[in-house]
Amino acid sequence: MSEQKIIEIEVLRYNPETDQEPHLELFKVPFTDDMSVLQGAQYIKDNFDGSLTFRWSCRMAICGSCGMMINGIPKLSCETFLRDYYPNRIRIEAMSNFPIEKDLVVDLSGFIEKLESIKPYIIPREPRTLEQGEYIQSPEEFNKYIQFTSCINCTLCYAACPQVGLNPDFIGPGAMALLHRYNMDSRDGGAAQRMELVASEEGVYNCSAVAYCSEVCPKHVDPASAVNINKANAAKDYFLRFLSPKGGSK
Amino acid sequence: MEIFKADVVIVGGGGAGLRAAIAVAESDPSLTIALVSKVYPMRSHTVAAEGGAAGVKKPTDNLDYHFHDTVGGGDWLCEQDVVEYFVKQAPVELTQLEHWGCPWSRTEDGHVNVRAFGGMKIERTWFAADKSGFHILHTLFQTSIKYPSIKRFDEHFCIDLLEEDGRCQGIVAIAMGTGELMMIEGKSVIIATGGAGRVFRESTLGGIVTGDGMALAYRHGVALRDMEFVQYHPTCMPITGLLFTEACRGEGGYLVNKDGYRYLQDYGLGPLQDQPKNKYMELGPRDRLSQAFWYEQQKGRTIEHPILGSVVHLDLRHLGEARLRERLPLIYEMAETFMGIDPAKEMIPVRAGVHYTMGGIKVDGKCAASLPGLYAIGECSSVGIHGANRLGSNSLTEIVVFGKLAGDEAANYVKSVAPGNSASLLKQAEAIEQRVTALKTKTGGTERISVIRKEMAKSMEDGCGIFRKEESMQATCDKLAELRERFKNINLDDKSSVWNTDWLMAIELDYQLDVAQTMAHSAINRKESRGAHQRLDGPDEAYKQRDDVNFLKHSEAYYVPGSAPRIAFGDVKITKSQPEVRVYGAAGEKADAERKASHV
Amino acid sequence: MSKRKPYVRSMDGWWKKNPYFVEYMIHESTALFVAAYVFILLVGVVRLGQGEAAWNAWLEALKSPLSVVCHLVLLAGAVYHTYSWFKILPITMPPVIVGGKKLAPEVLTGTALVVAAAAGLALLALVWRIAL
Repeated sequence: MSEQKIIEIEVLRYNPETDQEPHLELFKVPFTDDMSVLQGAQYIKDNFDGSLTFRWSCRMAICGSCGMMINGIPKLSCETFLRDYYPNRIRIEAMSNFPIEKDLVVDLSGFIEKLESIKPYIIPREPRTLEQGEYIQSPEEFNKYIQFTSCINCTLCYAACPQVGLNPDFIGPGAMALLHRYNMDSRDGGAAQRMELVASEEGVYNCSAVAYCSEVCPKHVDPASAVNINKANAAKDYFLRFLSPKGGSK
Repeated sequence: MEIFKADVVIVGGGGAGLRAAIAVAESDPSLTIALVSKVYPMRSHTVAAEGGAAGVKKPTDNLDYHFHDTVGGGDWLCEQDVVEYFVKQAPVELTQLEHWGCPWSRTEDGHVNVRAFGGMKIERTWFAADKSGFHILHTLFQTSIKYPSIKRFDEHFCIDLLEEDGRCQGIVAIAMGTGELMMIEGKSVIIATGGAGRVFRESTLGGIVTGDGMALAYRHGVALRDMEFVQYHPTCMPITGLLFTEACRGEGGYLVNKDGYRYLQDYGLGPLQDQPKNKYMELGPRDRLSQAFWYEQQKGRTIEHPILGSVVHLDLRHLGEARLRERLPLIYEMAETFMGIDPAKEMIPVRAGVHYTMGGIKVDGKCAASLPGLYAIGECSSVGIHGANRLGSNSLTEIVVFGKLAGDEAANYVKSVAPGNSASLLKQAEAIEQRVTALKTKTGGTERISVIRKEMAKSMEDGCGIFRKEESMQATCDKLAELRERFKNINLDDKSSVWNTDWLMAIELDYQLDVAQTMAHSAINRKESRGAHQRLDGPDEAYKQRDDVNFLKHSEAYYVPGSAPRIAFGDVKITKSQPEVRVYGAAGEKADAERKASHV
Repeated sequence: MSKRKPYVRSMDGWWKKNPYFVEYMIHESTALFVAAYVFILLVGVVRLGQGEAAWNAWLEALKSPLSVVCHLVLLAGAVYHTYSWFKILPITMPPVIVGGKKLAPEVLTGTALVVAAAAGLALLALVWRIAL
C-alpha cells in the first residue's frame, strides 16, 4: 500500500442559529485519486462533522445539485477532483451571488421564481391531438433549440454573473437560456408572450456581456449567447412596434 | 404547526409524481394538488435515466410483441392484464411528452426515432440522445408550471402518512429550510418516491434514492411486493457505480473479457453477431448479462484492475467519435471526466452494479394500495409490469403511463370522500412531530449513522448480490436486525433546525433499514431462481432452477412492529402468456418460431 | 418562528476576485480610450469652427511629444478593446449556420479580427495617399 495522501480542505461554514457571519474551517481529508470534491465533503460529514451541510444527489453531473465555489470558481463538485488540487489547499464555499442558508446551501427560491416566470412550456403554435401523433421537426428546426435544452439548472451561471450579484432581480442567464429554448422550438408559438419579460427592467439589458456564465456552464448551454441574441430580438421588437399599426407584439 | 389542505397530496416530484400532478390538474382544475418533494423536482433521480422509454413505434412492431418481451423478460412474474394496459398506453404517453416539448431524437424526416434495447424484439425505445430521463423530467417539471392548481412544496421531506377512519388522509413533512414540521391534509395520497437502491453499496443511484415511500406505506400495513428482485445493471463504472447506459450496446457496443473475447456467446445469448441484433449477445436482458459477468469473474476471465477491482471492457471504439458524440454524448463526457478515457480510442472498464428495485408498494392495476386513498406509482410501486426482471426502457414509460392513471384515479376518488377531521389529524401530526424531533435532540447515543449505513450496504451486497445462498442471506438478515437495534443508539452531530441534513439522513437510514429487511427476508424465502433472484443452493442445488409449482407467486412483505417482516405469497395474474423456458439468442428465436407455429 | 437567517455576502470589490472579471474590467475601461480619442477629434471640430488660428494651434498641439505618446497609448487601448470585443462577439450574435453546421466561435472571432485589421489598413492607406 502506498502512503495515504491527505489534502487540506477549507470550508466556508455558516450556521444561521449560532453565527453572525460565515467563517472558514479546515479539515484534513485522506483521499484517493478517484475522489471528487463532493466525496471529500462527504468524507468530512461521515467522519468528522455530521453537521456539514450541502446539497448533492446524482454524482454524475446531471441533477444540478452540487454546485459550489471551488477555489473561487463555480463548479459542480461531483465532477471536480481532489487530485487536481493536491498538494495545495482547496477552498470550498457556497455559490456566489446567492444568500447562504447554511454552510454550502444557498437560497435558490429566487432562481426558481425566475424560472417559473418565463413560461417554460410549449405554448402550441398549432394545437395537435394525440391521435394525430407527434409534431414533425426537421433536423434544422431541431438544431435551433437543442443546445438550450441541456441546462441542468445548476445555477453556476448565476454564481458567475456579477450582474446577478449587483441586481438580484435580473432574470439571469440560465432562465433566459430556457426562455430562448422555447422561443426557438418550432412547436412553440409563445415568443410574443415572453417578449415583455425579455425587454423588462429584469430582462436582458441587465447583461453587460461579461460572458463568464458561458465559461462556467458545465453543459455547454452558452447562456450568454441566449441572453445577447435576445437583446437584438428585444430591440427589433421595440422598433417594429412603432412601425406596426397594431403596436407590435405585446 | 402549519397546515395546508389539499385534495390530492403527491409525495415525490420525479417523473411519476409530476405526471400524476398534471393528470389531476387536467382532469379537474378545481382540485388542489400538493406536490411534496425532498429536492427541487428537477433533481429527482428520473434525471439520471439515460437510454430511453419503450413504446411501440415502428410499423413492423406491435403491442403483442412488447407484451411478450416484457412478460418473458420478467420471467413470468408480471401481472399480465396490467402489462396489456401498459403497452397499449405507452405510445400515447410518449407522444404526449413530445407535445409538451420533450426533445426526442429524430430521424432525418423529422419523426421520433427509436433505438434497440436489451430484451426487446424490435427497436421501440424512444430516446433523447443518452439523456432521456433528464429531458423527460425537465419537460414534465416545466410543463407542470403551467397549472396553477399544482402547489409545490419543494425541499419538504415526508416523514409519515396520516391515517384516519381506515383511509389515508394526508402526510406530515419537514420543511427542510426551517426544520419546522407541517401537516398537509389530502383526501388521497399518491406515493412517487422512487427506488431504494442506496441500501446497496455500489449503485448507479443518487443519494436521494432511499426508499422513503416504500417504508412509509409498509409501516402502515401495506405489503411490499417482490422486494427480492433487485436489478444489477451490467455496465457500471467501478467504485462509483455510475451508469453506462444500455444504449451503448443498443448502438452496437461490445462486452469483452480479459482475452478480448465477447463472452456473452458462452451464456445462451449467441451465436456471435457483428451488428447489434435484438435479443442476441449484448442485447440480452440485464439479469442475464450481470450473471454472465459474475461467471466470468469466477472463471478468472475478468480483468483484475489494481484500483477498480474485477472489470470487463465495454468496447465502443468501432462506433467512431462522431456517432458517439451524437448518440451517447453524456457517456462520452462521463468517460472523459470521471475516468480520463476517450471511448472512441480506448475501452471502458465496467462491472455490474445495483440499478433498480423491481418490487415495491403493492398496488392493483389502477395504482391503488390496500389502504383506501393511497396510491403508488413508479419505482416505489409494484404495479406488476416488471416481474422478476425489468427490461431496460420500460421504467421511463411506466412513470408516465401510471403517473397519468394514478392522477386520474385519485382525482376521481376524492370526489367521493368527505373531508377528514382536521382536529384529530392534527393530534396525530403532533405525536409524529414529537417522535421525529426526539430522534434529533436525544443525547447520549454512541452510534454514527454513517457507520450503520455503510455496514448495511456492505451486508446487502454480501447477502443479496447477483447470486445468493441461504447462509449469506441469513447473515444479512441477522446483520440488519443488529443494525435495527444499534440504530436506537444513534447520536447526531447536528441538533439545529435550519437545513439539518444529519437529521434527515438519519430518518432516511431508518427507512432504508426497513426496506433492506424486506429485501433480505423476501429473498431468503424464495427458494428458487427467477430473473434477478438467482440462488446457488438448495438440496441438490434445487434452488438454482425456476420452480413454477411453488413460486410462480409474488412475495409480499408485511410490517411487524419491532421485528423482521412477515413474508407471504400471492397469486400472479396470467392472461395470455403461459410460463415457458426463458431463452435468448438463437434458442430464443427458435422458441418464438415454435410458438408462432403452434398458434397457427 | 423560523430560525432562518440567510447571509448575503457583499459585492464590494467583486471584480478583483476573479482574473476573468479583471480582464472584463480592462476590456470595459479601454472603451474610455476610444471615447477619449473621439473627444480629441471633437475638440478639433470646435477649434475649426473658431477660425484658422485656433485650428492651426490645435494641429500644433497634436504634434507635441506628449500628444504622440498619448495617441500611442490610446491606440494600444483601442486595439485591445477591438480584440477583446471580438473575442465575445460569437456570444452576442445569432449562430451562423454554414452547410448545416454552426460556425465555431474561433472562426467568427478570427474573421472579425481579420476584417477589422484589413479595414484599419485600408483606411490608413487612404489617409496616407491624401496626405501625400
